[in-house]
Amino acid sequence: MTFLAPIFFYVALGVAAGAVALHFIVTRQPTSSPLPTVRFVPTSAVRVTTVAPIPEDRWLLLVRVLAVLLIGAALARPVLVPHRRPVARVVLADVSRAVGRIETVRDSARMLLGSGDVLVVFDSSARVVRSGASDSAARLARKERSGRLSPALIAALRAASTIRDDADSIELAIVSPIRANEIDGATQAIRALWPGRIRVVRVAAAGDSLTPPAGVAVHADAEDPIALASSIAGLPPSDSVVRVIRGEATPADSAWAMAGRRTLVRWPVTAAPPGWIARMPTDTAGAVIAGEVALVFPLERRWRVDSTARATRVAARWVDGAPAAVERAAGSGCIRDVAISVPTRGDLVLRPTFGQIVRALVSPCASVAGGLAADSASVARLAGAGPLAAHDLVRPPANVGAPLVPWLLAAAIVLVLLELFVRRGSAPMWTDAGEDDASPPRPGAVA
Amino acid sequence: MSLARYAAVLDSVRGIGWPALRRVRSAVPGPHLSRVRGTTAEVVEYRPYRQGDDPTKIDWKLVGRTDRVYIRVSQERTILPTMLVLDASASMAFPPVAHAKWDTARQLAVALAAVARHRGDPVGLALAGEQGSRVIAPRTRKTVLEEMMRLLESAPEGELALAPTAAAAMRLGARVVLITDFLGDADALLAAGKTFAASGGELYAIHVVDRGELDPDPKKLLLSDPEHPEIRRPMSPPARTAYIRRFGDWRAALARDWRAIGAMYSTVVPGEEQWRQVIRRITAPQGTARRTG
Repeated sequence: MTFLAPIFFYVALGVAAGAVALHFIVTRQPTSSPLPTVRFVPTSAVRVTTVAPIPEDRWLLLVRVLAVLLIGAALARPVLVPHRRPVARVVLADVSRAVGRIETVRDSARMLLGSGDVLVVFDSSARVVRSGASDSAARLARKERSGRLSPALIAALRAASTIRDDADSIELAIVSPIRANEIDGATQAIRALWPGRIRVVRVAAAGDSLTPPAGVAVHADAEDPIALASSIAGLPPSDSVVRVIRGEATPADSAWAMAGRRTLVRWPVTAAPPGWIARMPTDTAGAVIAGEVALVFPLERRWRVDSTARATRVAARWVDGAPAAVERAAGSGCIRDVAISVPTRGDLVLRPTFGQIVRALVSPCASVAGGLAADSASVARLAGAGPLAAHDLVRPPANVGAPLVPWLLAAAIVLVLLELFVRRGSAPMWTDAGEDDASPPRPGAVA
Repeated sequence: MSLARYAAVLDSVRGIGWPALRRVRSAVPGPHLSRVRGTTAEVVEYRPYRQGDDPTKIDWKLVGRTDRVYIRVSQERTILPTMLVLDASASMAFPPVAHAKWDTARQLAVALAAVARHRGDPVGLALAGEQGSRVIAPRTRKTVLEEMMRLLESAPEGELALAPTAAAAMRLGARVVLITDFLGDADALLAAGKTFAASGGELYAIHVVDRGELDPDPKKLLLSDPEHPEIRRPMSPPARTAYIRRFGDWRAALARDWRAIGAMYSTVVPGEEQWRQVIRRITAPQGTARRTG
């Protein structure tokens, strides 16, 4: 048993000690001395306070001390807790689409989870599993949603508060591929709330599990610069994952993308991609950026994204920030629309940066491939250093039920009532001359 | 043993006289002036013979010189039977161990008896104690003091009424000395004394008060009456102040009442005065109406 507010119990201990001390200080009727002329002494009550060598009225003292301690214990909010284990774990299992093989997450989570540990299953949201965490880990299923570490960490912090009294140390373990898109701006701040290191168990991401070579099928003329750039970049001509349509995409192409974890790149040569409208007037942008690759070249901008179109993710931007390529999920796959006019003349195709930007734009969508891996510095900050979090460093839960409180208070009330009877059972205090003089000493006159 | 206890006080009262306060109505020859005028050698005056006078008291030589008949009038002296009445109740056994009040009372009794007997007065003792009244009738024989000392060996105890014993003593003596603390039946005792004094008896009221009664020990917080143990009173500082005041008022009233009936009231505090001084203060009180003898 432990106390959530032990200060009350300490105060009760002090009060009980005071009660014991007061029982040493007794108010008693002193030994009478004969005086023949006592009749001339006015009648009045007498109380003499002395220090007794042993406590007086030990039953009364026992009742009082017990009552005070019970009240203090009740106010201290005791909770019954099992014997502490050395380490309790909170395992965050990533089931987002960033995970390549969910079996890996299951095995890793089950290996970490023990009795009493907590499993936090997260993708874009988090779900805490307290009972049967190991069994739940065995039934984890991959979700087609992106992963977010921030809500998972918040849920883990809350879950850790509930098991802080179960173990001497609390360990936080993250079983995830830790993709870059799973870490947002709040993640590191939330992570700073955890007072210990975090064990990071990185599993294979979805993109990592694709069968190499991934391959790109470019449906275009032989002289098409994209096809040439793909060829120059060494991408194998296979449409198992990515298909680039330089003409008008057909429903069959969309169905192909939606059927699996594939990416359909609609990059028309002259027409506007679906969802794009003509830019009036047409201008020229000095550069285009896709990911971390920038192509500095005057490119004609003919189209712009229709603002009424479906929500998309920008895959490439012009140098002024305007979208140059967007992508959206389609079924299990992804469709990327690229509105970059590639000149057929000149040596642009031969430039390495062009090949890099083509490679970026014909790569699988982040939603399909699981996104980019988080950089090692971010992962290192996430893992942290130092010892495990001590249980007393973990913030206690905001509200914990204390079922013993009413029982302890009821027992204290009963004892207080009993104290009245015990006190009444003692002979009344001698207060007047000529009255019963056999009254015993009465301690605790401070009442 | 008893004599050794009283040796000091008996030595201290040697030579002290105890004259009667007024003429004594008695015919037995003794040291005190008698109300009876007789024909002893001590001529006080001559008075013309009146019918009915004893012719043997006619001074014939004066008749021869003056041709008138005179008779010799002489002053008779007589004895004054003295009874000492002692209170042997439990209240006299104070302080608890020393029993100073009782010790003072019995030494006072023996000393007064010795003084009275030294002048030829018969002395007796009436002791009011737990076993009842024990009385030694007034006598002049030498052993009377020893009898009194033996009687006074008993320890004071119990609650008793002193008035019956005093009344009995008043019937036996013309001079009665009450040695008590007046904490018993004071009113009845005063009534008996009033009757005795009104009948011409000499009454001495000696109030024995211990120092512990005048100024109680402040360390003693709870006090009880030795004659009535169920009576207990706390002696707090305010109560102590009130006690001293009330006890003083009572003693003043007591002295006033006894003096009002003609008694010689004295207060004796054990150890306060020399025995000789005490005895002289009692036997030769100041302000008496008439000194004789």
